[in-house]
This record gives sequence, structure tokens and C-alpha cells, in this order.
Amino acid sequence: MLDLLPILAQQIINGLVLGSIYVLATLGLTLIFGVLGQINFAHADFVTLGAFAAFFAARLTGGNYIFAILAALLVGALLGLAINGAVFSPLRGQDETRPLVATIGVSVLLENTALAVLGPVPYVFDSPYSNQVIRVAGMFFTVQNMLVMIVAVLSIGALYMFLKLTFLGKALRALSQDREAAGLMGINQKQLIALTFVIGSAFAGLAGAMLGPVLVLTPFAGASVIVKAFAIVIIGGFGNVEGTILAGLMIGLIESFTTQFLTPGLSDIVVFGILLLMLAFRPTGLIAERREENV
Amino acid sequence: MSDTTSGTSVLPSGRSGDYVRWLSLLACVAVIIVLPFVFRDAYWRGILTICAINILLAIGLDFIFGYAGQLSLGHSAFSGIGAYVSTVLVTSFGFNFWVAFVCGVLGAGLAGVLLSAFAVRLKGHYLAIASLGFAVITYQILVNWISVTQGPLGIYGIPSPPSLSIPGLPEISFANQQMYFYLVASFALLTYIVLRNLISSPIGDALIAVREDEVSAASLGIYGTKWKVVAFGVGCSIAGMAGCFYASFIGTLVPDAFFITESFMILAMVVIGGRGNLWGAVLGAVLLTVVPELLRGIGDFRLIIYGLALTFVALFLPGGLSGVIIQAMRRMGLAVSGVKGDAHV
Repeated sequence: MLDLLPILAQQIINGLVLGSIYVLATLGLTLIFGVLGQINFAHADFVTLGAFAAFFAARLTGGNYIFAILAALLVGALLGLAINGAVFSPLRGQDETRPLVATIGVSVLLENTALAVLGPVPYVFDSPYSNQVIRVAGMFFTVQNMLVMIVAVLSIGALYMFLKLTFLGKALRALSQDREAAGLMGINQKQLIALTFVIGSAFAGLAGAMLGPVLVLTPFAGASVIVKAFAIVIIGGFGNVEGTILAGLMIGLIESFTTQFLTPGLSDIVVFGILLLMLAFRPTGLIAERREENV
Repeated sequence: MSDTTSGTSVLPSGRSGDYVRWLSLLACVAVIIVLPFVFRDAYWRGILTICAINILLAIGLDFIFGYAGQLSLGHSAFSGIGAYVSTVLVTSFGFNFWVAFVCGVLGAGLAGVLLSAFAVRLKGHYLAIASLGFAVITYQILVNWISVTQGPLGIYGIPSPPSLSIPGLPEISFANQQMYFYLVASFALLTYIVLRNLISSPIGDALIAVREDEVSAASLGIYGTKWKVVAFGVGCSIAGMAGCFYASFIGTLVPDAFFITESFMILAMVVIGGRGNLWGAVLGAVLLTVVPELLRGIGDFRLIIYGLALTFVALFLPGGLSGVIIQAMRRMGLAVSGVKGDAHV
């Protein structure tokens, strides 16, 4: 029993770190779905490109991680603007599978362009904090791990404040509740939808900057996270920010525990098994919403 | 946006229609027979067979996505189920290929019916993600169930189907690439004919009605649930068939052949060819199999081009290439056969 406790604590920390990355990667999907009812399949590649932007920014500035994070946020935001302008805006009001299929194409395009330019060999992205290890009572974690959690808490807190306290945030919530009524109240839908893409995709970039030093950085880094991100969006309830946070942390914990006590490959089976069960029995997600018409 | 009444106007009917049908069937058979003589190179003969397998995958998905309107992102999983069920039965249990083949097809069909249990309750994006999840689970099971599937190491030395001997004729060995192509191509052609007949029967009308508006369909006594189960059952069985042929053609089987990106590839075939149009799916399958081979010289760029093509078609050509062709033919005043209630032209 004495040996088991540190292992449990260690896995809880690992799970929360992983979960924080998942939450950051997923929040954009949730926001966009909440406002627009659409899925951006290329969101994964925004995570990847954010990670590479951070990597190159860090290299150019001699390892300055703040610049790296800023670069990732900027690249994510620009990609969000671009995909809204190129795909979602022109296809608004069309058959909902068309933007989905179009963004699958964008995803294939971005992933393979990244592969052609950057190559399949993993990049070693050490932030200044990757190698500083803290040991407490038999557990160990890097400062980077702590940083991931702190950044996640801060940025999620900022998003929450923005949504609840500012006028724009209020307008966004209004838009996600009823687009027509919000339009009638004089809310500019186009600008707000673009803003949603900018915020959501900047979060994806941020997730990339956090993920780079923790996981393996290749052109497929985002894709490996995003399939789980979709599961998280559904388990948390589509378009529901609180549900996404809860589900993201939960999936992170499940993954680190199945990796510790079972085999690593099983974590996907467990996660998606939960997803299918949720879909079958509780399709509104962990935190029920009024979005009944979607199921 | 749709002209669902088009059943009468665009379908060839009566004697002349039958005539056209038989002629086009004969033309297909002739093309299939001639193709291996045109492509004598072993490499290109292999591509021919892969083409036929991809046609099976594409028309199966088109039946689900194009006609019944259910977006499945897990089609590769069903081909994987078909491939692994038949191969394991042959290599580990010594089943005859054709018995294993039937089991593989049925297994994939059953799995499809299982997934349709979700399709019945979910719409649009939810179903897309559920089917994606189904594909991820299937892939992970193939990777992790090592005692049966050999995991990522794969199964090697899968035999060809047994030779066919008809008295009075020389024995037909399917180890011969040309014969194997004939085998798969005949199955693809038969499947195409069966699907086309299904679609031009009232079953096709029911599927399209469910796709266009499930509530209105229900008010006309069309029970959406039943038809979604039918669509998934049929479409996924066809994917299973493609998987069986793929395994015994390639001779080795690894889970990566059925990763979710393969599902996107099949989806791209259907979308680029034009969903809701069987020959469009065939066109898409042929194009996306052959063009990348022609572009092999430029390596990874072929996948970039394929991503671009998928995006471009989804953005600007909702009817896909077949939609463009149909419009062009209509403009020239030609009747177009085989199009029924296409909402995307």
C-alpha cells in the first residue's frame, strides 16, 4: 500500500497535465460548436502548427518561452480567421456536412504540407522548464508540467471572465443561445463568429505551445490529440464549456491510469467506449443542455 | 433544392431504357476484360485490382452517405472487420476462402447494423463523431488483440482464394493477377448492379426521403430507423467484401491499413465523385486511385493535392464531378440515366 500511494498521486498529476492540454485543445471546438453548430476538423492541425510556431519562435529568440507562447497564440488566431473566411463563412446555411468535409480536406492538406516541409522526424522542443524536476515524496514532475496546469487555469479563467463579465462575451453567449434573436438585438453575427474562431483557434495554438515540450512534436502531434478532443467535446456536451473542462480532465486521468495499470493502447478503447456509451445513453453530455434538437 | 420527382424524367424507361442498360452493362464487361491486356505491367495490374476494391468501398459508403444521408467517418473499420474475420478464419482455423468470405461480409454487415443503432438516435455531427469513435475502437482492438490479429506485426502469407476448376475449361488460378482482377471486378460490377437496382426500387425512394426530411418521411409512413439500419447493413457488408479481397490480394494484413485516415480517403472518393450518385462514386474511386499513382514521382505532394481537391470540391462543387458532368449533359440536351433525386446538382 505504501508503494501504491505515490504511484496514484503521480498518475493523478500526469493525468491532470494531460487533461489540461486536452482542455486547451478542445475549448476552441466547443466554443465554435456552441456559436455556430459546426465542427472544424482542421482544429487538430491548428494545435500542431501552434506547436511548431512556438518551437521556431523559441529557437529564434534563444529559448524565450513567452515569445513562443505568443507566436503560437498568433498563428492559431490567424488560422482561425482564415478557416472562417475560407470555409465556414461561404458555406453558412448550407448542408452541414459540407463544411465538415471541406475541413477534413483542409486537415489533410495542412498535415501533409507540414509533413513535406518539416519531415516526419520528431523535433525536440525543450522549453526552459522541461528539465527542471521537482521531487516531492516519491513523485516527480517537471516545472513544465506545473506551467501547463497554471497556463490552463489562467487562460480558462480568462475565457470564463470574458464570457461572463464583458459585453462581447455576453453577446457571444446570446449568439449561441439564439442566433436569430441575437441578430435582431443588433448583434453583428459575422464579426462575432469570426471572433469565436479567433479565440477558439488561439486556444488551439496555445495547446500546441504547451503540448510541444510535453508530448512528441511531429506533424501528427495535433492529430493524435484531436481524436480524443472530439470525444471530450461530446462527453462534455457539445458547446458546453464547463462540461468540456470536466470531461477533458477526466479523459486525461483515465488515460494516465490505463497507461499505468493496463496497456497504453487500451486508453483509446476505454475513452471511446465511454464516448459510445455516453452517446447511447446520455447524448446531451455530462452537463445536460437544452440542445435537444441535435440528438 | 432537390428535384425528388425526377424518377420519371431522368430514368430511362420502357424498352429503350432496357436497351441502354444492357448496352452499358456489356460495355462495362468489355472494359473489364480488356483492361488487363492494356496494362500488362504487374504494377499497374495491381493498381487495377486496388481500383476495383476502392470502387466497392466507395459505392458502399455512397449508399450510406449519399443516398441515406448518414455521414459515417468509420468506413475503413468495416473493411478492416471483413478483412480480419475472413483472414483469421482462413489462416488460423483453416476455413475455405469462400466460407470465410461470407463470414467476413456478414461480420462487417453486423458491425454496421451495430453502428446504425447510434445512427438511429444521432444526427449529423454526432453521428460523424460516433462513427469516428467506432473506427478508433476497431483500430485499437486490431492493434491490441495480439493473440488473434498478431497486432501491429500483422498477419503474413495470406493465401489467394482457391483455384476454380470448371470441367472442360482450363483451371483458373487466382494467384494470377489478371484472374484476381477479373474476380474482384466481377464482384464490383455485380454489387454495383444490385445497388443500382435497390436504389431505383422503392427502397431507394425511402432512403432518399429519410435523407431529405426524416419527419416528412415518417408522416408518409416511411420508418426512418428501419432504413438507416438497412443502409448501414448493406453499405458496411460491401466494405467487408472489399476488405476480404484486399487481404487475400495484398497477402499481408496490418491494422494501419484500416486507420481512420483511410475512412477520409473513401469519403473523399464519394465527395469528389459526387455523393448520391453511384457512378459518381465509381468515378471518384478510380480517379483517387489512379491519379496519385501517376503523381507518385512527386512523393508526399500527392496527399497535399488530394487534400486540396477534397476542400475545393466541398466548397465549390457540391455535386462533385458527376454533378458537373450531369449539368453539362443536360445543357447539351441529353437525358441522364441513373440519377435519382439527387439533391446536390
